[in-house]
Amino acid sequence: MTVELLEKLCMLNGASGDENRVRDFILSEISGYCEYRVDPLGNIIAEKKGKSASSKKVMISAHMDEVGMIVTSVKSDGTLTVSPVGGIDPRVAIGRPVFVGDSDIYGVIGAKAVHNLSADEKKTAPKFDALYIDIGAEDKAAAEKLVSLGDFVHFLSEFIHFGDDFIKGKAIDDRFGCAVMIDLIKSELPYDCTFTFVVQEEVGLRGSQTAAYRVAPDFAIVLEATTAADIPLASGEKRCCELGRGAVVSYMDRSTIYDKELYGISRDIALKNGIKWQTKTMVAGGNDSGAIHISRGGVRTIAISAPCRYLHSPSCVVKLSDLEDCEKLAGLMFEKMCTM
Amino acid sequence: MDLEKSIMSLADARGVSGDETNAAELALSMLKDYTDDCFIKNGNVIGHFGCKGAKPHILIDAHIDQIGFTVTHITDDGFLKISGCGGIDRRLLLAQPVTVLDKKPLDGVICAIPPHLETDESKVPEMEDICVDVGLTKVSAEEFISLGDKIVFASHCAKLQGDRITGAALDDRCGVASILRALELVKNKPLHGEITVMFSTQEEVGERGAKIGAFDIEPDIAIAVDVSFALTSGDSEVKCGAMGRGCMIGFSPVLDRELSQTFKAMAENRGLPYQIEVMSGTTGTNADRFSVNKHGVKAVTLSIPLKYMHTPVEVISLSDVENTAQLIAAYITEVSA
Repeated sequence: MTVELLEKLCMLNGASGDENRVRDFILSEISGYCEYRVDPLGNIIAEKKGKSASSKKVMISAHMDEVGMIVTSVKSDGTLTVSPVGGIDPRVAIGRPVFVGDSDIYGVIGAKAVHNLSADEKKTAPKFDALYIDIGAEDKAAAEKLVSLGDFVHFLSEFIHFGDDFIKGKAIDDRFGCAVMIDLIKSELPYDCTFTFVVQEEVGLRGSQTAAYRVAPDFAIVLEATTAADIPLASGEKRCCELGRGAVVSYMDRSTIYDKELYGISRDIALKNGIKWQTKTMVAGGNDSGAIHISRGGVRTIAISAPCRYLHSPSCVVKLSDLEDCEKLAGLMFEKMCTM
Repeated sequence: MDLEKSIMSLADARGVSGDETNAAELALSMLKDYTDDCFIKNGNVIGHFGCKGAKPHILIDAHIDQIGFTVTHITDDGFLKISGCGGIDRRLLLAQPVTVLDKKPLDGVICAIPPHLETDESKVPEMEDICVDVGLTKVSAEEFISLGDKIVFASHCAKLQGDRITGAALDDRCGVASILRALELVKNKPLHGEITVMFSTQEEVGERGAKIGAFDIEPDIAIAVDVSFALTSGDSEVKCGAMGRGCMIGFSPVLDRELSQTFKAMAENRGLPYQIEVMSGTTGTNADRFSVNKHGVKAVTLSIPLKYMHTPVEVISLSDVENTAQLIAAYITEVSA
């Protein structure tokens, strides 16, 4: 996977329900390499021809949307109130720059000066309904000329390389998965494959539900980013998974009990091919597998995830080697499924 | 001088209390446009104007430092433990991008706490629980980072609607810019008095640069140009000024009342918008140090209204900086002509 492609994808703004820009970019990338359609919810369903047809239908899926916010009101002083779209800790929103609406109006999520906080206020982080965005508008009328209720709000976060091959950026969850799929579509595959770039994962695995229904696969591979807590605050099993330890394959999370045989196969394939493989040490999180594995009469599903620190914040952190391990494992798992 | 560009380049420079060199050198280079007699002494940027020895000797000051952090420990897995330099709002630290300042600046991220570790999102972390992720092992981290290195929010200035600007160190680089702008306004005027400009260190940790700077300068009158609270949602109107309504002239028991009145009258005479900032004791600015320098100095505060102080997204209005500069220039002209 090229990091440049991931960077382009991460820098696009696409909260759940506002995936247009991400979709347009992906379509421009995959056009000419496959047949595709866009379904009523906005999912891209791409049919890639391989060297030969497969007896089993395999679907590889990643979501295009990211967590963000949505404007709920314009206050008399020209500031905007927002609700989170997807799960965001308000503590990673306060004091950040954001883009508001389709024209990316620059705004900031303000915070009362620390000097003026009471002792209680200093100890209590504000809830989302207490946060507001300042775009510099002098009053409500000035703000309303630029912003409409329902406008989406996205974090502004630079995509940077730092430390020992680490990357920091927003929306790595799940543009990483999108980047891998674009790569696979552009490569020569041994068998036919259906790729779904889906919408609205962050608000309840909704796009994947209709995509899986249409595709009706026998097997599914979900490409994701999953919470790693390999930070000093966590020890033992609470670390969940760790950066630098390779692709994460879960046996169970909050949305899915994964296919036991596929789970074992993934480990064997990784071991045989020198791919770093790890599993999660907690039953936590969830992803589109939750909708896909119970689609129609059931789909044998596996999720291959990149371990990611500070998930759902503007500063997601991943390690390059893990991304490469995920991509390699996904390719080999796909081939295996096609011959099962 | 392009005021907006100056403010943004100054506010994007780095200068945590105690390590102001980067910002100070930029400010010095800008000060050189107005005087050859300028230098850095004990960290403070000093520039002389007018006639040496003439009375009254006026000091015009803004602080050059910004809040930040200092590295106190490198953990076994290469994360940095930190301590605050200046007033830190711990509510907004999680997942903030930061820059570790060494010979070669390093990017990092303050660790956020995943929901499986902590379900209470209203909990504000203690400073001792804050860690910075620099993506390095302990061995590599120790190669690049020393204990005592400073850390700043990795934030860039940007323009908002109208004439508003956001950035991390507008407190008090917009004050520095307003003084430079005032110097430009009086550039070709003969100055008969003595004027010293200072961009001082360590205000955020207790106005320390101001104290040692004023000792050398020995002014008769001192003007501390700083920022103060512009009204935001949830603030008290009594405590705050209004953004875009001009310079906030300080009135306080520790300030020289006659000097405050002079500035007020001057603003009125010249039709410059202004606001009165009433403080009932010390001001929390360098004026507190100036007024008790040696045998005493008449001091005043001129404050630029600023929203979201000490966050990475402070907000100011360009017009307030310009109006403050106009007021400073008017004063220089009147007392020095």
